[in-house]
Amino acid sequence: MSLYVLEGLRPWVIQRVSAVYLVLFFIYATYCYFSADVIAYDAWKGWLYNPFNTTVTGIFVIAILFHAWIGMRDVVLDYVHNIMIRIFILAVLVGVLIGSGLWVFRILLLSVVA
Amino acid sequence: MLSQRQMTDNRPVYLNLIKIRLPLTGIVSFAHRISGVLLFLFIPFSVYLLDLSVQSAESFAAVKQLLDQPLMLAVQLLILWSIAHHFFAGIRFLLIDAEIGVEKSQARIGSWLVFLAEAIAILLIVVGVCS
Repeated sequence: MSLYVLEGLRPWVIQRVSAVYLVLFFIYATYCYFSADVIAYDAWKGWLYNPFNTTVTGIFVIAILFHAWIGMRDVVLDYVHNIMIRIFILAVLVGVLIGSGLWVFRILLLSVVA
Repeated sequence: MLSQRQMTDNRPVYLNLIKIRLPLTGIVSFAHRISGVLLFLFIPFSVYLLDLSVQSAESFAAVKQLLDQPLMLAVQLLILWSIAHHFFAGIRFLLIDAEIGVEKSQARIGSWLVFLAEAIAILLIVVGVCS
């Protein structure tokens, strides 16, 4: 018995496209961290709420949520064979990922509201 | 006569995880999986810290203070390893998808390069953050 949430080649492609974006984002973020003069509250907020950084961070969040979902889904499909337990764990994963995603978007959009 | 199905079902299964010696490429692959699961588990905590870090100067200072605790330093090292390994092993898998480094001897060299790159990256980042 199996529970394929997305069938065929699509998750394979999404996993690799998101991986490339994550690589680029981590290089950019590491560069920003080490080229920053100070790691302080104002400088950090200034970085995050710079429109460019908010945008690339938003895309990063979407990329990492898809990437984490496909990766964790593959792990669950490999090791959890009981269909009910499988559905339950996958549902918890979705909840954690969507919850985390919404929370980050709330944080990212605070600068627009404030 | 046993059917094909019964024959495969009745095979002796010997899975002593301590005695299984994974080849180097298998270690890279399995560590990629473990680091991926660890990174997933860190997501909610990271979001919580992100929220605290932007709320106010006080909560930002609280995040810094929290991360300076010995236990949290160990956790950060674990996250750093997870990211470093997942990053370089992931790049290796992308290259293998592009049919670069598939051949057996090249695959072994690629695995060594992953461990070398992650060791250097972890070292550089730890030194960079501490100095």
